[in-house]
Amino acid sequence: MDQNPVPGIMKTSVVMVLLGMLLVAPHALAQQKTVTGKVTSEQGAPLSGVSVILKGTNTRTATNNEGSYSIRAAVGQVLQFRLIGTALVERTVGDADVIDVPLRRVALDLDAVVVSALGEATERRAQGTAQQTIRGADIAQTQRENFVNALQGRIAGVDVTSTSGVPGASASIIVRGITSISGSNQPLMIVDGLPMDNRTLNTGLLASDANSNTALSNRAIDFTNRAADFNPDDIESLTVLKGPEAAALYGIDAANGAIVIQTKRGTAGGGVQYSSSARVEWTGAKPQLQRVYGPTTVATDGTLGSFFYFGAPYPAGTRFYDNLDGFLRKGTAATTSLSFSGATADNRINYRLATAADKQDGVVPSSGYGRVNLTAASQAQIAPWLNSDVSMNYTYDNNDQVYKGTCGTISTCGSLLGPLIDLMLWPQTDDAKDYLTKSGLRRRLTGLAASDEPDNPYFNVNKDKINAKTSRVMVNLGLLVTPFSWGSLKTNLGTDAYTNQNLVLRNPESATGFSTNGVLDQADVVTRNLDAQTVLNINSQPLTRSLSISGLVGHYISDHKTTTDAVVGTQFLDPNFVSINNTNQRTPQPTIEQRRLVSLFGKAVLDYRNFLYLTATGRNDWTSTMPPGASSFFYPSVSTSFVFSDAFPAIGRFMTGKLRAAYAQVGKDAKPYAFRPALQYKTTSYGGYGYNFWGPNLSLRPEFAKSWEVGAEVSFFHNRLGLDGTVYRKVTEDQIVNDVRGSYGTGFILFNLNGASTRARGLELTVHATPVLKPTFGWDVVANWTSAGQVVTGLPRGIPESYVSDTWLYGNVRNGTMVGLSTMSLTGFFYLRNNQGDLLIDPTTGLPVRSNVLSGNFVDRGYDRQPDFTIGLTNSFRYKRFGLEFLVDIRKGGDVFDATDHFLTTHGLSLQTLDRDQPRVIKGVLMDGKQNSANPTPNNIVVLPSANPAYYTSMSEELFIERDINWLRLRDVQLSYELPQGFLGSRNASVFVKGTDLLLITNYTGLDPIVNGNTAAVGGSGGVGIDFGNFPMPRGVNFGIRMGF
Amino acid sequence: MHRRLCALLVAAFGLAAGCHDFLDVNTNPNGPQSVSANLYLPQMLHWLVTSPQYDGRFVGRYTQEWTLPSLTLATALPTTWDRMGYDAGSDNGGEQWRDVYWSLGQNLVDMNAKAAAEKRWDLLGVGLTLKAWGWQVLTDLHGEIIIKEAFDESRTTFDYDSQDYAYQEVQRLLDSAIVLLRHSDGAVDAGYLGKGDHIYNGNRVKWLRFAWGMKAVVLNHFSKTATYQPDAVIAAVDSSFQDNSDDALLQYPATSTDLQDYNFYGWTRNNIRSYRQTQFVVGLMNGAQFGGAVDPRMSRMLAPAADGQYRGVDPNLGGFGALTATQQPFNFFGYAGTAGSGLPARYLFADRSKLPVMTYAELQFIKAEAALHKGDQPTARTAYMNGISAHIDFVNARNLDAGQTPTQITGAEKTAFLADANIVPPPGNLTLSHVMSQKFIALWGWGHNELWMDMRRYHYTDVVDTVSRLQVFRGFANLYADNQGKLVQRIRPRFNSEYVWNQTGLSAIGALAGDYHTKLLWITPP
Repeated sequence: MDQNPVPGIMKTSVVMVLLGMLLVAPHALAQQKTVTGKVTSEQGAPLSGVSVILKGTNTRTATNNEGSYSIRAAVGQVLQFRLIGTALVERTVGDADVIDVPLRRVALDLDAVVVSALGEATERRAQGTAQQTIRGADIAQTQRENFVNALQGRIAGVDVTSTSGVPGASASIIVRGITSISGSNQPLMIVDGLPMDNRTLNTGLLASDANSNTALSNRAIDFTNRAADFNPDDIESLTVLKGPEAAALYGIDAANGAIVIQTKRGTAGGGVQYSSSARVEWTGAKPQLQRVYGPTTVATDGTLGSFFYFGAPYPAGTRFYDNLDGFLRKGTAATTSLSFSGATADNRINYRLATAADKQDGVVPSSGYGRVNLTAASQAQIAPWLNSDVSMNYTYDNNDQVYKGTCGTISTCGSLLGPLIDLMLWPQTDDAKDYLTKSGLRRRLTGLAASDEPDNPYFNVNKDKINAKTSRVMVNLGLLVTPFSWGSLKTNLGTDAYTNQNLVLRNPESATGFSTNGVLDQADVVTRNLDAQTVLNINSQPLTRSLSISGLVGHYISDHKTTTDAVVGTQFLDPNFVSINNTNQRTPQPTIEQRRLVSLFGKAVLDYRNFLYLTATGRNDWTSTMPPGASSFFYPSVSTSFVFSDAFPAIGRFMTGKLRAAYAQVGKDAKPYAFRPALQYKTTSYGGYGYNFWGPNLSLRPEFAKSWEVGAEVSFFHNRLGLDGTVYRKVTEDQIVNDVRGSYGTGFILFNLNGASTRARGLELTVHATPVLKPTFGWDVVANWTSAGQVVTGLPRGIPESYVSDTWLYGNVRNGTMVGLSTMSLTGFFYLRNNQGDLLIDPTTGLPVRSNVLSGNFVDRGYDRQPDFTIGLTNSFRYKRFGLEFLVDIRKGGDVFDATDHFLTTHGLSLQTLDRDQPRVIKGVLMDGKQNSANPTPNNIVVLPSANPAYYTSMSEELFIERDINWLRLRDVQLSYELPQGFLGSRNASVFVKGTDLLLITNYTGLDPIVNGNTAAVGGSGGVGIDFGNFPMPRGVNFGIRMGF
Repeated sequence: MHRRLCALLVAAFGLAAGCHDFLDVNTNPNGPQSVSANLYLPQMLHWLVTSPQYDGRFVGRYTQEWTLPSLTLATALPTTWDRMGYDAGSDNGGEQWRDVYWSLGQNLVDMNAKAAAEKRWDLLGVGLTLKAWGWQVLTDLHGEIIIKEAFDESRTTFDYDSQDYAYQEVQRLLDSAIVLLRHSDGAVDAGYLGKGDHIYNGNRVKWLRFAWGMKAVVLNHFSKTATYQPDAVIAAVDSSFQDNSDDALLQYPATSTDLQDYNFYGWTRNNIRSYRQTQFVVGLMNGAQFGGAVDPRMSRMLAPAADGQYRGVDPNLGGFGALTATQQPFNFFGYAGTAGSGLPARYLFADRSKLPVMTYAELQFIKAEAALHKGDQPTARTAYMNGISAHIDFVNARNLDAGQTPTQITGAEKTAFLADANIVPPPGNLTLSHVMSQKFIALWGWGHNELWMDMRRYHYTDVVDTVSRLQVFRGFANLYADNQGKLVQRIRPRFNSEYVWNQTGLSAIGALAGDYHTKLLWITPP
């Protein structure tokens, strides 16, 4: 909105109606009194954060840390006590001024209040769609700096993949599978009703990425996903709206689901909360390298010819250095948070002020993450009919990462390998720690050009640099007007504004920086997202004696703009001074991206006797990113909920349950500037303009997804055992595929085209159980079971294969998919076989023939990274003052490409190259023209790998894609103890010890099957499951204390 | 109080829906959608000169200008290109395909349309010349190409046009360009053109000569066909470059951080660090093929070994073979292994060296060849001597471009060389072998497209006459035909453009066959 003036008022009539509403005098209020009380658990422990609501009004408060509350109410009014995970309790205000309430933990409570789309509170019984909520406390207790990582295993249908174990690594979150082949599959994030940016910086914004010689292509580098800026301690609750059905009201951005976060507010007598924890981290897994055979070529002066190890055996008595051992260090992390909260005695004003500081030093040298959060939130009842709600959140974070993997084979940015690969490649007969010469320069071992010799790993982590600093402010102003009894009007105005400064250094002496005497990328990303939303809520109105209707209409407008000032500098003057001012050649490349969206939406809920609900929604979006005529689109949803245990009391005696079904359509627009090509300034001799890669597509249309789901929620034994199951099916049609290649005869290289389609199906099952519930001992179990699959049913223009080029990061394997394949498939230059399925062998070399030799095409061999199912199993035990909780994350199936092992094999370092002196005949048939005849010639060519290292170096990556990888991972385990009251003068205090990722049992032979060869910025299925030189998740143990004063 | 609140809420709610102006923010602010016509030109001229060098890494191995040996193994399997093969599933050898269809592509269409609308006849003339250049180099490299259906972004597959049609189209475009470049009326303006033209700085007359030069090249390619007209070739040469000052050269400023404006062969770009000169080219210059006359250009163009001697590598070996460490030729920058960072280079191979796309010497050799075909020995001899003399000057000039190490060839050396009967035979005795071998030297290292066309016209090892059995390309041997004995005749169309996405079109011209690269071109019949 900084360019165009605020457009004129739409229709005078709307304004008049609004004015009319507001001028209605508030109702006279009945005689009120102050009710106080204490809310406790079934064990008698005080429960904080319990919402106490005057039923049918907006008056509410919450219990403090001692479980106490205070609220103004009139006799005859009803107080509701709500806390996620407990059964709803209602008490009518009578003569007593004190009402104490025990809340009972339940597995499933249809009367529980849940957050639905737009952050509206609804009763669970009315929900016709699948969603799942976690309490903020459960997220915070995982001690994960990036709260997104806390979600893995806790919600059915949600899959979180951290790019690596380096502090600040980006995390990808996928709800219900990959359905977009090339675009983003990340869900919409909503905080207190307005969107929160969760972007991961795409290296395409770096000025060095414009050229394939220096491009990093989201491969060798990673940046934090922006949701990590959020302080996990500020989260009151987090709800995942899984399908388009649940998220339909959020429209265009919620096609991949939505994550709705409510932040904490102050409560009367909240006091001071202090918590502090410290963590130690270490890496358990370690690759094995052979120590029998030495380098392939060694000059007479001892200089190495290369870092290949196909040479003579090491002489006896050779001194070896365990370079791997000393490299990774003990990581440490410390977190401190402090909050003050409180409310006025009449609860008309509450506040919460919080601050938190995180400091993390990763297990990889030079990696670290630090964050400071400042949060303030206050609600005020300005008048009986007017409430305000303000929250402000400031974050500063500072992240140092290290390189990983490689820049890849499409573009070869020198020999940029991550330090882990460098470490394995470095000769074991040389002490890698000694990485500088006496004069302080890079110590070299080979006669290769400096740009062709891989870096020493210590040089890599000490002399190269990836730093990101972010300063972010999120402000949300809310006004709630209740001028009449039948409804309320809620307006939120918000901004999410941040400056993200990135610095990427390739040292002048490093392999990748040498050619240009250093490469320094600087990219300052300035994002300012403005959002405004107004919702008119209409309370339930009876239509007949048994039928009532409620609903809302709303309006949303957003203006999201990101400006990136990027510059790349080369030709360093002082090789050690890191500043653009120190570079002799500089190329700036600023980028602006803006998108505006205007929406109107509405929802109506029909309620038949509180057991049958029908919800219909509709939303119309107008987006700035589509061609004129295609920019407006409408989509409806309808869902129904049937509480059969209430409808048939005979059933309700021994169980409660509901059935639900929903159908929705949701549209999706293109990214900005997708349909009309622009010229770009060329860096070739004497500049000038020329078209970028993308050709025009003026007929670009929005894509649509149609989705339906049915589900059931049942509970038994007084809600001690609850089951929630959902089956869904989602079909996307006319999907926009970005960066589709075509014949250059078009005049262009890439197009953004409609025409892909995908079909997703899945089954989600959540079981809550409370096997033991005694005053001194309790045991809760939550199990989330997910099975999902997505297939591609069409590609634009009949193209044979679609892939995201950034994923072509190692050798010749990429996330290619074809019609009929999974969206998580991998294609590659795999081995050719005859009709009988025998390997074809080259008659001259005796080695197998790969697909590129004939057609040059990437082929499918049935590789699929999609797991068969995943299980997240949480067990919580409470015994007196002790608590024990652990989360086990289980996965069955899904392929992982161990590119690291392929790399080690082709360099003669893998243990499986030790039998290189064994002559062998590869089983197969010769490709001599008779391979498909009745009598193919069996291969009889003897290969001696030690004499012909091509046996290893030409191996297809196919042999290193490990099929059906299973794992069992102990994600979190925590033991806590509540200290006796009065400890150090506190009102409450507890200590805990916690382990993260302590145990991994897997059939994967690499270091860690949870990997992403790219980052969360890459669209489609991305580089998940491509493991090349990625640092595994470290194991960690936390010690912490929480105290309240 | 109420009123103020009302105003606030109304402001929030009043950001009205469906407002067209509000949503009109999708014009890409990062780049214009169209620019002044001359601003399209610089990058197209860059690719005019540079694009052939990308493919030259591969074509130059077919022509044995250079080879890519293993630097560590004495013998190894020679590379596919050294064996006259190709890399399946790779875009190697497809750079000119990319640049003609994309870097020029729609940019050239737009520029020409604007130039025509604005009566900028000089710019339009340059544009049509570029267009002709594109079709000519592509059809020479690949044979059948996409012309009639090109630049239709709504198509998904494309039909190929014949080489005959391509050559007709090239001549039609050049004829139009020649007419236009003669005009000085309309909005013809050297200042305007010069803003985008860093080859001739807007000099229309030089572009006119360039168009004539291209016409000469094109007409000369018909030498094996019935329609060959040597007189037309000679006339075109005479209308083209008058001396070395007309050479079409591009300077590489070498200031961009992404190295795109560096000389493609310079050390920094790291494209030919491991390449080495062949026995063939050394044999043409060390006296082996010219009766012991050592070419003064050898020590200014080629790379010595550590012992100071000039030797070539046998492309059949895949390595240096029996050459000892001190005998192995240095890289083209003049250093061992892949070294040379920041050090002065040689000839065309410095980061800031100028590279040509067409030279006066080249055209004089073309004239000499045509005159020989016509039987006009005196004309041939003059042109031949002009060619050698001009190229000696060219070598001197290039070695001054970027502070290279070789010394200048003195006037005395030049005179002595031209007086050597082994190089310039007595009148009446000039043969195609003299002309084509000397042309090879003059185009060595940059004129890969033309050299390969010459070699294919003379079937690599054709002889001048059946009596002397002297090869047109003296000493060209060691053919390692990796194609069941067939010689390479064309490069397959670019993989990532055609083999992946235009199989229908490929199928129609037989390009899906594994030995398509050995299929003779229309213009070089047996």
